[in-house]
Amino acid sequence: MRLFSWWLRRALSAVLTLFLVSVLIFAASRWMPGGFAEVVLGPFASPEQKAEVAAKYGLDESVFVQYWLWLGTALTGDFGISMISGEPVTTEFGLRLPVTAQLALFGVAAAVLIGVPLGVLTAVRAGGRRGGAALGRLVSGLGVSVPEFVLGSIVVFLFSRYALGLTVGGYVPFGQDPAGNLQSMVLPAAVLSVFVIAVAARTTRDAVLNVLVEPYITASIARGESPGFIVARHVLRNASIPVITVLSTITAYLLGGAVIIEYLFNLPGIGTYLVQAVGRRDYAVVQAGVLLAAVVFIVLNMLTDAAAGVLDPRFGAAAKGRKR
Amino acid sequence: MTPLLHIDDLVVDYASGGRTVRALDGAALTVQRGETVGIVGESGSGKSTLGSAIGGLLPGAASVTGGAVRVDGDDVNTLRPKQLRALRRGRLGYIFQEPIGSLDPTMRVGRQVELALRGRGTRADVTAHLARVQLADPDRVARSYPHQLSGGMAQRVAIAMAMAGEPEILIADEPTAALDSQIREEVLGVIFSLAAEAGTTILWLSHDLPAVAKRCSRVVVMYGGRVVESGAASAVLDSPRHPYTAALVRAVPGAAADGARLSSIPGQPPVLTGSAQGCAFAPRCPDALGPCSADRPPLVSVAERDVLCHLAEATVGAGR
Ligand SMILES: Nc1ncnc2c1ncn2[C@@H]1O[C@H](COP(=O)(O)OP(=O)(O)OP(=O)(O)O)[C@@H](O)[C@H]1O
Ligand SMILES: [Mg+2]
Repeated sequence: MRLFSWWLRRALSAVLTLFLVSVLIFAASRWMPGGFAEVVLGPFASPEQKAEVAAKYGLDESVFVQYWLWLGTALTGDFGISMISGEPVTTEFGLRLPVTAQLALFGVAAAVLIGVPLGVLTAVRAGGRRGGAALGRLVSGLGVSVPEFVLGSIVVFLFSRYALGLTVGGYVPFGQDPAGNLQSMVLPAAVLSVFVIAVAARTTRDAVLNVLVEPYITASIARGESPGFIVARHVLRNASIPVITVLSTITAYLLGGAVIIEYLFNLPGIGTYLVQAVGRRDYAVVQAGVLLAAVVFIVLNMLTDAAAGVLDPRFGAAAKGRKR
Repeated sequence: MTPLLHIDDLVVDYASGGRTVRALDGAALTVQRGETVGIVGESGSGKSTLGSAIGGLLPGAASVTGGAVRVDGDDVNTLRPKQLRALRRGRLGYIFQEPIGSLDPTMRVGRQVELALRGRGTRADVTAHLARVQLADPDRVARSYPHQLSGGMAQRVAIAMAMAGEPEILIADEPTAALDSQIREEVLGVIFSLAAEAGTTILWLSHDLPAVAKRCSRVVVMYGGRVVESGAASAVLDSPRHPYTAALVRAVPGAAADGARLSSIPGQPPVLTGSAQGCAFAPRCPDALGPCSADRPPLVSVAERDVLCHLAEATVGAGR
C-alpha cells in the first residue's frame, strides 16, 4: 500500500515536472532573440514579409494562445510540424531516433560489459599486484583527460585513409543494410565507448574499494570465504547503487544525442538535429526534443530508484517508509 | 603436546603515510585448549593487531617483521591462501566490535547464517542456531535485514555465525564495546556458554580488567606491543606483579564498562616507531629504576604468572 502511494506520488510529480519543462522551454524558445521569420528570411526582409511568415505559422498569436494550442495537440500525440521541412515532428524524430538509440545501446553495452568488470577487477587487484591499479588509472585517465573530439578526429583521420572495412560517415539504417549499418557504426561507437567505459570503470572501482574496507568484508574474510565468493556474494550488490546511478546518467546522456560524435562521423542522430533546430528556431522540434529528453530523464530516474530499492533494503526503507 | 596457540616474539609494523608504527614489539603468548583468556590493555597496546595476526587478517599496511604465530603447530604466516582459508573456516571464529556493520546490509540474516553454515544448514538449522544465541524470535530475525536489528541482536547473530563452524579458538575483539551496558552481560554470557558447550577456547580482547578477570581463567596484560603480565585471573587481579597491571587495577573503579577508555594512569601510552630499547612502561612507571629504560626486561615466572619486568623478582612478597 505504502509502495503504491509512493509510486503514485512519483508519477504525479513526473507529470508536473513535464508540464513545467514544457512551459519553460516554450517561453525560452519564444523569447530567444531573433524569431523564426528572421532566421528564414535573412537579415534584409521587410516587416511585411516577416508578418506574413509569422501569420502563416501562427506565430502572431500571443505566447499564451500558442502554448494553449500546442498543449492541446501535444496531448493527442501530435507535436506539430517542423517549420523547416514541413514534415510532422514525429516523422522527423522517427528518422533520427534509431541512430541515437543504436549508438546509445552500443555505449551502454560497452559500459556494462567492459567498464563495470574492469572497475571491479582493478579494485579487487588494487590490494594485491600493482598491475591492476596501474591499468585502472590508465583507462580512467585516458578516458577522462583526452577530449572526445581529439580522439574522434584521430580516428576519423586514420580510418578515412586506411579503411580496414570500416566506413567513416555513410550511415545507412540497419533495416536497409545491416552489414553496411554496422560498418558505419563501429567507429563512432568505439570512440564513444572509450569515454563511457572510463566513467563506468572509475565509478565501479571507487564503489568497490569503498565496500572492500567495510567491516562485513573483514568479517567474511575472517570466516574463510574465498575472494571470488566474497566479490560475488557481498561486494557486487553492495557496490551496485553508485554504479547503476552512473549507468543511468550515461544512458540519459547518450539518448540525448552524442553531438560531437554525431558531427564527426556524420550521423543523422537526435543531438545534431536538435542543435540545428535551435539555430533555425524550429520551435516545434525544439519543444518536442526537450520534452523527450525530460521524459527519458524522469523514466531513467524512476527505474534507478526502483532498482536501488531492490538492491539495497536500507535504501528502500528510507525512500518508502518502513514496511512491517 | 603442541599448544593450541603459540605466539612467539611477534613483531608487526604498520606503514602509514611514510611512517612506521610498531604495533607489536615482540609479543609472546601461549594458550592451551579450553582456556578462557582475557587480553587487556589501553588503546593502542596492540590487542587488535594480535587478534588479527592469529587469523592472518592483518590489513595491507601491516607487515610481520619478526616472530611467528602457530595455531596447533601451523605457522600462520607461511600458509598458502587456500590453507589459510581452511584455517579460518575450520578452526577460528571472530567477533568484532561493530555488530551491525559486521553483517552484510543487503542480505537477510537467515541467508548469512546459512552461508556461515556452508550450505550444510537447512532452514531449521538456521533457526536453531539463532535460538542458541538466545534471540527471542529467531524466525523473525532470520527474515530481517541487519539494519532492522538492534546492536545486541546483531551481535548475537554474529556470535551464531562465528560459532557455526564450532571453531577451536574464538577471538572476540571488544564484542560489547558498542552495546548498551544492560545487554553487555547477556551477550558475554551467550559467548561464554556457547564456547563452553563447544569446547572452544576464548580470546577476549578488552579494556576492562575486572570484567575480564570475572569470566576468564587467564588474564593477559599488554602494553606497548608486548605481553607484560600473563597468568591465572584471580592471582593477577589480586596481586599484580607488573607495575602497569597494578596501575590498571587501581585505575579501574569496580564497575567500569567495557569500551570505556582508561585514562587515570598519568602519562600517555607510547607509539613505537621501532623496537623499544627498555621497558615501554618505564617513563610512566612509579617504581622505575636505572635499567628499566636501558634494557629490555626479562621474562620472570613467579606466583602463577609470567611477568615482563626488571622489578618482578624484587617485588616477590612485597604484597602488591
Ligand atoms: N591500519 C593501521 N594503520 C596504521 N597504524 C595502525 C593500524 N592499525 C593499528 N595501528 C597502530 O598500531 C598500534 C596498535 O593498534 P591496535 O589497534 O592493535 O591496538 P588496540 O590495543 O586494539 O587498541 P584499541 O583498544 O584502541 O582497539 C596503535 O599505535 C595503532 O595506532
Ligand atoms: Mg582494538
